[in-house]
Amino acid sequence: MSLRLLQRPSGYIGWLLAGVLLLLQSGCASYSRNFEQEIQTLASQDPAAALDALEKQHHPERNRLLYHLNKAMLLHMLGDYAASNTEFEQAKAVIQQYQATSISEQGAAFFINDGTRTYVGSSLEQLMLHVYAAINYLLQNKVDEARVEALQIDVRLRQLQEDKPDSILSIDPFVRYLTGLIYEQLGEYDNAMIAYRKAYNAYLEHQKAYGINVPRFLKQDLLRFSRQLGLTEEYNKYRTRFNTEARQIDREQAELIVLFHKDLAPIKRSRRIAQMDPRTGYLVHFALPVYEPRNSQLSHARVVVEQQRINTERMEDISGIALRTLDQSMPAIMARALARAVIKYKMSRQVGEDNGLAGLVMNIAGVVSEQADTRSWLTLPGEIQMARVTLPPGDYNVELELIGRAGQVTAIRQLGRISLTRGSKRFLSYFMVPGLPNNEALE
Amino acid sequence: MQYGNFRSLSLLLGGFALILGLGGCGTQVERLEPEEVRDLSGAWNDTDSRLVSEEMISDMLSRPWVDDFKRRTGKQPAVIVGTVRNLSHEHINTNTFVNDIQRELTNSGRVTFVASSQEREEIRDERLDQDIHASAETRKAMGQEYGADYMLSGQINTIIDMEGRTQVRYYQVDLTLISLVDNRKAWVGQKKIKKEVVNSKLRF
Repeated sequence: MSLRLLQRPSGYIGWLLAGVLLLLQSGCASYSRNFEQEIQTLASQDPAAALDALEKQHHPERNRLLYHLNKAMLLHMLGDYAASNTEFEQAKAVIQQYQATSISEQGAAFFINDGTRTYVGSSLEQLMLHVYAAINYLLQNKVDEARVEALQIDVRLRQLQEDKPDSILSIDPFVRYLTGLIYEQLGEYDNAMIAYRKAYNAYLEHQKAYGINVPRFLKQDLLRFSRQLGLTEEYNKYRTRFNTEARQIDREQAELIVLFHKDLAPIKRSRRIAQMDPRTGYLVHFALPVYEPRNSQLSHARVVVEQQRINTERMEDISGIALRTLDQSMPAIMARALARAVIKYKMSRQVGEDNGLAGLVMNIAGVVSEQADTRSWLTLPGEIQMARVTLPPGDYNVELELIGRAGQVTAIRQLGRISLTRGSKRFLSYFMVPGLPNNEALE
Repeated sequence: MQYGNFRSLSLLLGGFALILGLGGCGTQVERLEPEEVRDLSGAWNDTDSRLVSEEMISDMLSRPWVDDFKRRTGKQPAVIVGTVRNLSHEHINTNTFVNDIQRELTNSGRVTFVASSQEREEIRDERLDQDIHASAETRKAMGQEYGADYMLSGQINTIIDMEGRTQVRYYQVDLTLISLVDNRKAWVGQKKIKKEVVNSKLRF
């Protein structure tokens, strides 16, 4: 039988096709599964080991962005902020290089799966790249450089507004707040006011979408600057709305700003779906990405300095935004997956008419190669929280209490000793990676 | 009919497989002259830095403040470089073109430069070290530093306008020379650069 099969030209081509499909799919194993090792080491709060594991892995060119993003985040956790930003710059270069749609990759994605395309990140990830780069500069006290990131954020948001006007991301609140903080630190109060105002409007929008509150600091910032800049009408509006007065900042005091990065952004998994194609009536199988949350039992953190205890507040719900943005792009992903499944099925049937076995192999290859694109920035936190603490100049020990959902202190972390001079602002950052979220899912 | 249809399909697929395989071509290196203009991403590059510094230098030396100062004091003006702030939307290394300006001006022989604050620290350390270790005749005394007459500082600003894939980037570099005696501005230089960057929608 195999001899007869080899004698027929179409048999060759059928086998060839099946072989090509099988070969190509070997490199497309689900990305999120490949990276589980790192997540496990991360869970034990050992970013150095995770970095080691990341370096040892093979990273195909199409996933290079993720390599830079993950490496940058691990370096951030290790406190090497300068090296972290070198990686972020390389990540930006990858996005710049590959942001145009590739004709050849689109073709491959159409026949094999979406994972064969070069990854340029979701809009959320592209935005968060700038956010963490800016945070890295602030942590190094390079405020002018952080300002550069603030301007790049502005360009990115304008692009988003143009490309996807309906996206909730184009009015991201924390990003605006962060740029306001940078302008404030440089004494550009008018720019800071504009950014805070935009942040406030964005928080109101996001509150409607998935229930994040307007942070207390933002209310104070709006009151302070609207009064300082002489915007009386606006000041009165905020005063009645927030039911509080502006607390004047004492120029003799210093400020400590603690950023608390909680949990991890949700991970994408591939889920198989069988569906009838409405046009051809074929029952086809295809895979779609679904998000799996990676949240811990933590609620927030409490900054302890001397006698002061300040709770961190939720500034950005990255998980919430990720879920919403995936929902928004789902119809397009689904249409593509369905079209691809139908093509693969048709091909295997055509081959099968000439040669039954080759057709069967084709069909299997088609089903096996069908994988959802599960690539995402896996070391991105699920939530960003923040606390601003006003202190007189001096040296302080900073402690962070991690608070569980029931309000109990689950752990205490030392953030080290800082020295504050008059009128200065110091940033500290702590990333809390949760333990393994769901053991069954990782098996 | 069925067969032909299938063959064209397989050709198409084979073509894509080939395209995929072509991905990893070898590294190519081409040597360039430093003066050659090669714009890649549209970001601030060496050409911009060079154009700005050249223009600033020729402008600065053609102005009357140098001769005025010489006539008044009989000395060459001593200049110190302060900070050139990067207020643009790109991470620009301002040191390269500040160094260009400094070199050209020093070499012109009409202006002297004194060491910047960071450089001074290092030299003071060395002088302190000499005080203990160097012989009396080669030792350099402290308190003999040459105080600058002017400070050069400035900033780089950008404005970006965009629509779709097209961006217009406008850079403005401002340098100011301020007299350390009375805070008067002796010279103000400005250079503008405008670029249009079009990002392609498609790549191979």
